Amino acid sequence: MKVLMVCSGGMSSAIVVKAIKQEADKKDFPLEIKAVGTGEFEDELKVGGYDLAIVAPQVKHRMSVFEEAAKSVNVPVELIVPMGYTPIGAPKVLEQIKKYSK
Amino acid sequence: MNAFFNFLEKVLLPPMTKLSEQRHLRAIRDGIIATIPLIIVGSFFLIIAFPPVPALAALVKPSILKILFPYRLSMGIMALYASFGIGYNLSKSYKLDPLAGGMLAMASFLLTNLPISTKDHGWVIALENLGGAGMFVAIIMSIFAVEVLRFAKQKNLTIKMPKEVPQSVANSFAALIPAAFIMFTVWIVRDMLNFNIQEFIMDIFKPLVTAGNTLPGVLIPILLVTLLWSCGIHGDSIVGTVARPIWLTLLDGNLAAQAAGKALPNIAPEPFFQWFVWIGGSGTTIGLVLLMLFSKSKYLKELGKASIVPGICNINEPVIFGAPIMLNPLFMIPFIVGPLVCGTITYFAMYFHMVARPYILPPWTLPAPIGAYLATGGDWKAIILVLINVAITTVIYYPFFKAYEKKLIKEGLEAEQAEAQVTA
Repeated sequence: MKVLMVCSGGMSSAIVVKAIKQEADKKDFPLEIKAVGTGEFEDELKVGGYDLAIVAPQVKHRMSVFEEAAKSVNVPVELIVPMGYTPIGAPKVLEQIKKYSK
Repeated sequence: MNAFFNFLEKVLLPPMTKLSEQRHLRAIRDGIIATIPLIIVGSFFLIIAFPPVPALAALVKPSILKILFPYRLSMGIMALYASFGIGYNLSKSYKLDPLAGGMLAMASFLLTNLPISTKDHGWVIALENLGGAGMFVAIIMSIFAVEVLRFAKQKNLTIKMPKEVPQSVANSFAALIPAAFIMFTVWIVRDMLNFNIQEFIMDIFKPLVTAGNTLPGVLIPILLVTLLWSCGIHGDSIVGTVARPIWLTLLDGNLAAQAAGKALPNIAPEPFFQWFVWIGGSGTTIGLVLLMLFSKSKYLKELGKASIVPGICNINEPVIFGAPIMLNPLFMIPFIVGPLVCGTITYFAMYFHMVARPYILPPWTLPAPIGAYLATGGDWKAIILVLINVAITTVIYYPFFKAYEKKLIKEGLEAEQAEAQVTA
């Protein structure tokens, strides 16, 4: 499964992405996950062939912009639960991601 | 307290987020942020020219002029770069050709300058006008240029090329009429009517820049950033949308003064906030993370361990969302009060020249004492000030941390007891 995470600058999400990837490996869940800042989101989503986009809680006010961008390429968007957005909250986000796996 | 959070989410958030999503402001933000690498690297040439070690300073003194050339052609003309960035991003958001937009924006900004003929060097324009002082001129002229481009496209005022013509060639012709309109308009206003566009725009924005350098001008952004983060929204990126041009103009004022060997006029350019207020991230959370490391609550201790390295690099989303601080009435108070206290202390320390004023823009992920040392051009007292601010905010966080820890431990015990009952 291929997932794109978006946060403000792509800096804090890089930390969370690493933890989620480790959690997925531990659970033997095939996961390819990448983090970008809001500026790169639309372009990356278009070319990356993603199955899901997840949004960091601190940019939830831009949700409508992300949804619009994702709709044009038919990718579902999920807002990460706040408590999941930490290195030790990775299991929570992985559960959110798994909901979308086919 | 819940009523207060409701008030924040209903009254403060919608207009603020709407503002930060406004198309032109977003283009300004993204366009200016694109220049940051040049500003960071460019400003470092001032450290080379004015090293904090006296022996080194004496050594480089004869070559100061030459050392400063990269600074003059990067940070020194940042408004020129920004004009391209703003034009590019604004036209991109309109789904116009971004390259044409960037070019036209840059041209319309450059056209507000009067080149002078000199005997020795041919035609020259003053670099000063292309630097931070010209930032607002660049913003206004870039928006003007892209809006002309958009208007022309909307009204179909373009020269159409046959289908066989390559796209890149067609694009350059599409911008022909807007380019003509922009160049003629600015030329007539600036050169024929002799109306000083630059001075006019600078005068309009001068009160804003002056206000940004006062104590309320420091405390209001701090308050807004922490209030927004308390609701879990990226406060910096929202407040910075409006404040960054002001902060950069203040920074440019200090850099120019330093390069000219004069006293630094401004207290509150961006590094003021980054290194002396947002230590460990927005809300000055590094003290809280330190407290967590020694917590009796298993959860807080584990979160502290996971957050300390990002915290040293001023990334604190793990704390804000993990503790959590957002929508947490207990932590919200020190999260807002701590940075306000840091801002006030630092303001007065710099106002009375007890600590040097910042004029360098080090990358924001450096540990705060190092960043503060570099930002002030190597003042060791800046490190002391950072440590004082960390100590004070740790004390401010302490009682709230203890109360929250007690609550978590109690809930944890209860959860364990409930579990034991169920299994029994």
